[in-house]
Amino acid sequence: MDELELLKKDWQKGRIEFKSYSDSDIYPMLHKKSSSIVKTLFYISIGELVFWLLASVLPYVLSPTFREKLDISYENPLFIGLTILSYVIILTFIYLLFRSYRGISSTDSAKKLMESILRTRKVIKYYVIFNLSLFFLSIPLSLYFEYQDNPEFHQQIVEASTTQMLIFYIVSIVIAGIIILILLLFYRVIYGILLKRLNRNYKELKKLEV
Amino acid sequence: MNKELEHSFVEQLQKHQNIIHKVCRLYTNNADAHNDLFQEITIQLWRAYPKFRGESKFSTWMYRVGLNTAITLYRKSKRRISTQEFDNVQFKIKAEEYDDTEERQLKLLYKAVHQLNDIEKALVFLYLEDKDYREISETLGITEVNARVKMNRVKKKLKTILNP
Repeated sequence: MDELELLKKDWQKGRIEFKSYSDSDIYPMLHKKSSSIVKTLFYISIGELVFWLLASVLPYVLSPTFREKLDISYENPLFIGLTILSYVIILTFIYLLFRSYRGISSTDSAKKLMESILRTRKVIKYYVIFNLSLFFLSIPLSLYFEYQDNPEFHQQIVEASTTQMLIFYIVSIVIAGIIILILLLFYRVIYGILLKRLNRNYKELKKLEV
Repeated sequence: MNKELEHSFVEQLQKHQNIIHKVCRLYTNNADAHNDLFQEITIQLWRAYPKFRGESKFSTWMYRVGLNTAITLYRKSKRRISTQEFDNVQFKIKAEEYDDTEERQLKLLYKAVHQLNDIEKALVFLYLEDKDYREISETLGITEVNARVKMNRVKKKLKTILNP
């Protein structure tokens, strides 16, 4: 006989007596904390939102010098436009994230459930990429605004030699690059660990379609 | 959520709890892990219950949520430290006269099933529960043809595990 048939015969016999939970055992179970992957993903995304919002707001609140400089920059319409744009994008992300979380349902098929979790993870990924690009862009932009609004800095740049400027550019790019690399690595590790099993199982299901 | 809903849920869950136990049996190796997964499946079922419209049977719905939890949603909790062997603790095997050779073969088979990957286990589980290929394919989100193909591969894999 086919091995699986033998197993099925045995399985169907119900020879195994499982521990039977009573109503009073089950009631408290309903209100225990879940340890699901979606919940962890949700907390991570909230953490991301808070982290990046704080990163943009805190320097303004904490440092008077920074605030003063920023207040001058706010007189520049380009700066105001960019700030508004970045907040619109953040709000869009919050909406997208909310929508994709609502789309995750444990009653979908296994494949669809995995896909909606991966889609949510993608939204978070794009949010992080957006913030990193913003961070990267903010370096030349802030130099540009500084150049425009700060006569001292303007003078220094005008007087600087080509070599000095080159060193200045290289150092800023390298520092920004290192910071981005560290952050990217950090994200890779977090999501890599969290979604390892899901990715493996999703691949296994996808493999069948080929 | 209201008490009535809770009551009807607990009543049905209690009646069909063996489905959850059987999922746990395939996906865990010891009593603590079994209980932990049982707990998580119960939470996921309860959360999804308000959306349960009764279009399918409660038990059919349980298979889906149970497997989804075991395969995708469940994160192994860190509170598990015990490595207690589960056979003696979580369930008893009814004493029955069994042919020794068959008994030995069954033990090896269960062990082999435990070595399969998550998706293969799900296929085997639904097959053992006598689900047809339509239900298997709908539960996993693959086509019926692919479910059959995969099932044949799983059978071959089991053979290889048993006769290396």
